Amino acid sequence: MAGYLIRRILLGLLTLLLITMAIYALIRHMPGNPLATDAAMMNPENMPSEEDIQRMRAAYGLDKSIPEAYVHWLTNMVKGDFGSSFSEKKPVLEVIGSRVANTLLLTVPSLILAYILAIPIGLFSTARSGKTDERLVGVGLYMLYAIPSFIAALFLQLLFAVKLEGTAFELPLMGIRADEYETLTSTERIWDRLEHMILPVISFTYVSLAYYSRFIKANMEEVIRQDYIRTAKAKGLGPIRIMIHHAFRNTLIPFVTLLGLSLPALLGGAIILEQIFNWPGMGQLYFRSILTRDYPVIMGLTFALSVLTLLGQLLADILYAFVDPRISYQ
Amino acid sequence: MNKSPTTTETKKSPGFWRHAWLRFRRKKLSMCALIMVIFLSLVAIFSPMIAGTKPIVCKYKGRLYFPCMAYFNTNWENPIFQKDRFRKRYPKNLKQKDPESWAVWPLIFQDPYRPVRDSEWKDRPANPFNGGEPSRLNIFGTSKGKDVLAMMVHGTRIALLVGFVSTGIAATIGIVVGAISGYFGGWIDIIISRIIELVMCIPSIVLILALMAVIEKPTIWHMMAILGFTSWTGMARLTRGEFLKLKESEFVAAGRSIGAGPFRIMFRHILPNAMAPVMVPIVFGIAAAIKVEAGLSLLGFGAPPPNPSWGTILNAGMTNYTEWWQIVFPGIAIFITILAYNLIGEGLQEATDPRLADPKD
Repeated sequence: MAGYLIRRILLGLLTLLLITMAIYALIRHMPGNPLATDAAMMNPENMPSEEDIQRMRAAYGLDKSIPEAYVHWLTNMVKGDFGSSFSEKKPVLEVIGSRVANTLLLTVPSLILAYILAIPIGLFSTARSGKTDERLVGVGLYMLYAIPSFIAALFLQLLFAVKLEGTAFELPLMGIRADEYETLTSTERIWDRLEHMILPVISFTYVSLAYYSRFIKANMEEVIRQDYIRTAKAKGLGPIRIMIHHAFRNTLIPFVTLLGLSLPALLGGAIILEQIFNWPGMGQLYFRSILTRDYPVIMGLTFALSVLTLLGQLLADILYAFVDPRISYQ
Repeated sequence: MNKSPTTTETKKSPGFWRHAWLRFRRKKLSMCALIMVIFLSLVAIFSPMIAGTKPIVCKYKGRLYFPCMAYFNTNWENPIFQKDRFRKRYPKNLKQKDPESWAVWPLIFQDPYRPVRDSEWKDRPANPFNGGEPSRLNIFGTSKGKDVLAMMVHGTRIALLVGFVSTGIAATIGIVVGAISGYFGGWIDIIISRIIELVMCIPSIVLILALMAVIEKPTIWHMMAILGFTSWTGMARLTRGEFLKLKESEFVAAGRSIGAGPFRIMFRHILPNAMAPVMVPIVFGIAAAIKVEAGLSLLGFGAPPPNPSWGTILNAGMTNYTEWWQIVFPGIAIFITILAYNLIGEGLQEATDPRLADPKD
């Protein structure tokens, strides 16, 4: 196991190196100057002089060639220094750190919700397989699965923020807090936060909900045909016990890989959804930093996301061996 | 062996794809989806004839012209209309400059690229710029003066094109890379598998956004290429697996023994046998490409306006939620298209899976 882990980690490091290299080369080839996107500098009255620009380029490491600058970034990164954001003039770690919580606020509840809802739906669909109610649920989930989350988000906004405006069901259109947040009492603040979370969390949840429950059902269908299920039935166990103890536990193996693979989505959020809801999370940060050519932030986010993706894959493989004794990494 | 020599002709048993089609045809939902996709393709092909402000065919100064073809490619508009200063206003100019002229007009006189002005067409009023609710003249309302229905009709073309071209690119790369990796094995396989894993690690939306940002003036063709170059990994893995399995079969050994070269064996002998499982992700890939294109256009990262992609209409709708028709109609169109491709993919999966085959067939 230790040997396997070491090999995987070394391979992961190589992958990281290649990804960051590729992304760095890409972003340095983007047209547009990161120093010219700041609105203050656009003002013709205080245009920075040629020397200032040269000084700034040197300070940000933009005067170096791309390979040189990449090595510079890499050596600093290994020391834990990700540089500082061009547009916010703050260290990258601080900029990203200020947004992690906001994204987690959306993704963690939606992940938990998706799992809590998907397991009973999946079990229900297997138990009533082929019956009318199961078919209806199945068709419903299938339809949901075909609606891209960003369209569902827009429709939800139209319904709850525009159509139901002024009624008790009105929900805020976008943003993370009300304008008068500072004046609210603490209970009102919690309610305000919840109110702003409802629509984004639903949009985040339902695609994975449809996917997970179909996934569980497909695996369950395979398992309930096994001999040991017939044995369990023959010795007189109740259907619920068979479903949960004998069948569902055996579908956990493919299920845990899903868990591992959803790790990057947890922090990455969703660029499009955060943009639609104007949610100040990581996805929005990534989108904005591409627009403003904020190289250090793009690199920091790419690095974080790649690490998470690799960790998620590793976690899935380790969990695999953990839940299935037949698999070992010797 | 026990066949009597008198049988003159043995009945040819239907081939694999014919079988698959027979099984596919039995699934009502998948057939409905197929009809839907055919309908969308027809709308896309005939989009300039359905909605536009340029005649489908017109007789002008004694010659026949097809100005509507300009919607496919601006260069296909006959230069005579530029020389005669039509300025894209056909109905009046035709009558003024040649009283003898006649023209066959599109079903809907609306333009996807610009608002129709006052009395451009007989006594039709101009499209409202703000708050253009769905009405008799603009069935799906207007978006900044442009007719939403006309934009959606022409957007069908973009959606279809994006789906087919980008998935075509992805499938070509995926199949070739996967085939080489699976067939040759050894260190080639190790290197290619590493590369596939590497590309899979980069979140695709991140890579797509970065690539789109690199291009100074992205067009819809750039977007298709980028979508194609970022979504081939799944297909490559699948093809590799199929090739690993099939290269051990007798027919490959037979082919090799009569001296067929590796590429002949790969693409003439193995690939047709590996096609069925690879087709399924291709169909799902089309749906995914349409979704990603809509998402990018919604972010304003798609092909620059005035392109009438469905996502671009959504993007305009996001600036003003009270104009709900800019969100509801394109949203439904995207949903139906994705649903249709998913259903076809699912039907294909069931129809080509030998484990689900009906022994009676």
